[in-house]
Amino acid sequence: MRLTAKRRRTAFAATAAALALTTTGCLGSSDDGGGGGESGGDDGVVEIIGTTDPLVFDGLKAKIEEEAEAAGIEVDMQRVDNINQLILTRIQAGDPPDIAIIPQPGVIKQIVDRGEGVELTDDIVPADMISDMTPGTLEAGQIDGTQYGLMISMNVKSLVFTNKQAWEEAGYEAPETLDDLAALTEQIKSDGGTPWCFGIESGAATGWPATDWFEDLVMRYGGADVYNQWVTNEVKFDSDVVRQAADYFESTVLTEGNVPGGRGSIASVAFGDAEDTMWEDDPGCWMFKQGNFVVSADFMPQDVVDNVDERVGVFGFPPAEAGGENPVLGGGDLATLLEDNEDSRAMMEILADVDLGTTAAPESSFISPHTEFDNSLYPSELTRQIADVAYQADPFLFDGSDQMPGEVGAGSFWKEMTAWISEQQDLDTTLTNIDDSWPSS
Amino acid sequence: MVLKILNTLITVGVGILAALVLYWLLNKLAELLPGPWEDRVKPFLYILPAYAALVFYLVYPAVQTVVFSFANPTSTEWVGWDNYTQLLQSESFQDTLFNTLLWMIVVPVVVVALGLAMAVLADRLNPRWESTSKTVIFLPMAISAVGAGVVWGLIYDYRPEGREQIGLQNAIITALGFDPVAWLQVDEFHINSFFLMIMLMWAQVGFSMVLLSAAVKGVPEDTLEAARIDGANERDIFFRVVVPQIWGTVLTVYVTTLIGVMKIFDIVYVMTNGGFNTNVVGNEFFNQLFSNFNNGAAAAIVVMLMLATVPIMIYQVRNFRREESMA
Repeated sequence: MRLTAKRRRTAFAATAAALALTTTGCLGSSDDGGGGGESGGDDGVVEIIGTTDPLVFDGLKAKIEEEAEAAGIEVDMQRVDNINQLILTRIQAGDPPDIAIIPQPGVIKQIVDRGEGVELTDDIVPADMISDMTPGTLEAGQIDGTQYGLMISMNVKSLVFTNKQAWEEAGYEAPETLDDLAALTEQIKSDGGTPWCFGIESGAATGWPATDWFEDLVMRYGGADVYNQWVTNEVKFDSDVVRQAADYFESTVLTEGNVPGGRGSIASVAFGDAEDTMWEDDPGCWMFKQGNFVVSADFMPQDVVDNVDERVGVFGFPPAEAGGENPVLGGGDLATLLEDNEDSRAMMEILADVDLGTTAAPESSFISPHTEFDNSLYPSELTRQIADVAYQADPFLFDGSDQMPGEVGAGSFWKEMTAWISEQQDLDTTLTNIDDSWPSS
Repeated sequence: MVLKILNTLITVGVGILAALVLYWLLNKLAELLPGPWEDRVKPFLYILPAYAALVFYLVYPAVQTVVFSFANPTSTEWVGWDNYTQLLQSESFQDTLFNTLLWMIVVPVVVVALGLAMAVLADRLNPRWESTSKTVIFLPMAISAVGAGVVWGLIYDYRPEGREQIGLQNAIITALGFDPVAWLQVDEFHINSFFLMIMLMWAQVGFSMVLLSAAVKGVPEDTLEAARIDGANERDIFFRVVVPQIWGTVLTVYVTTLIGVMKIFDIVYVMTNGGFNTNVVGNEFFNQLFSNFNNGAAAAIVVMLMLATVPIMIYQVRNFRREESMA
């Protein structure tokens, strides 16, 4: 049964043509796939998926299940690893969970762009429940001014950690302004120390710790409005405010002698290992700027974590001017309502409650966005100090790279920073490249 | 657990049963046809399920990918050739293509050469040592690329000067009195890309060696003896008698490795994620699809990769045919 070459070719062409005909023109249109409201939904079980740190998640879950039982709601709460992809896939499949706890406003925007997400109006989350939220945390859940996400736990990034004992012996004081911080850096150097512990290696995500520095500096030099415009690329990377941030960063951190091993080592040092030598009696480096999540045995030596209040000092990354605007950089988990029904609405109310974190706080790194949260529940003085830094925010601003489009916030921003810091390209190229990578749509 | 095993067994059982029923039905269908037509149609009906599966799982996605490559990031609107022009015009993608080309040039040749050398050399050892050395060389083949990343991460690891070096290469050179080097950051002459290539070679040489070893052992002893009687030295015997006789296998190994190299992703993703100018096409595709959610650009990359692979595949298939007809 052999076909001749010619007939074979004809058969192949026919098949290919038929396939092309059936598939062309069938781009999935964005509005018919979704409409998840009518599917799943009101099955009596409120499904919540989230991706919070496991300890925080377990703490919250215990409380949520307890409250749900009291309210007569059945709840199925699952922790997943890659919620950003999962949630979009499930929306596309028309099977979204009732509530998703999402760490990135950018993903909420993608959900809203797909016509999903329920606006959190006053009758879903009463205003008096959220009137005590840290300034800026509500805005973090807004897409074009409409509230879609509600922050239920937060993390703080404008923090500088120190070796408490060595710090006190040396008589250093927490700086009040950026200039103070620069002066302190010089002071430590002239005392023979290395001021900064800094590494940006993080596997496939190498570069992100540098983006936190830029975010902190841009919001201080430009203020909250400029920062928000920068996040949406209305203010370009190639702009005065970003250059000002780069200058400060370069002279404070990248200068020879300011980090162990010098500028060339930064891109190869794991971000969490950078402070390993800080805990020695004669610290290998003195200041470590990182988010509160880093206070954990995953990153710090066990004996430091066991005695945090004796060993670890912390101060808030200082404002540009004393008494001026005091923006604080951080992130958080945003509860997003995807299926509007009675039970899931009741669940949103549970999530908005000031006491949501009462079981999570003592056992984990949980920090409540509610300023009226009972801070005696936090496990250490250090956590209370960190929470205080956040509560004094004016305003609290969400991590910019998490809000930028993925191409930038999880792509070019990381990579270009890495290339610049490791001196593979100059600042001009770096800033232009990031601007160029911004997706056009 | 028990439930899962039971589920699996049931699924497999039902699957086999369904396949049997399907073929039985197709057979019945053919038997309904009059006389000679039954025999004429039957082979096509038998091959139909396999062919349908091929179309459904291979051809259809391929065509769909081509279609998506002309659409926007969410595959909702046509954008013409924009995805292709934007990619090809961007400097970083040009670097990515160049890196991929380097991989394609270097890795398959080295893998074949090293594999052949090891096959021939191991052939001279006594049987016990031959199998031991081959096992050791083949071992990395069993390690996943991510596992290899951990192993080689410990070789290339870098710590700032003054701290204890846990990376093998840095431990050696600091012991010799040099400063530690951040190996994967060194992009002069694409040295860091070569460090990554070494990882793939390390993993692939065993495969190449095993195939080539079998071929070398298949070379008839009398041809070697004849050459020796004619006074050929060992070098001539290798290049003029052995290599021509195993050329088919050499080509097969080369092409297989080449296709593997064109798709290389995991090693680069794990080690640098394309940083420090080590990006390759496979990694760029992953980033476009899974961190940028850009279906259009990702599809365009795949289409380009497919187009580049097709000539090699055609050559490979022809080669197979020729060998079959010779055998």
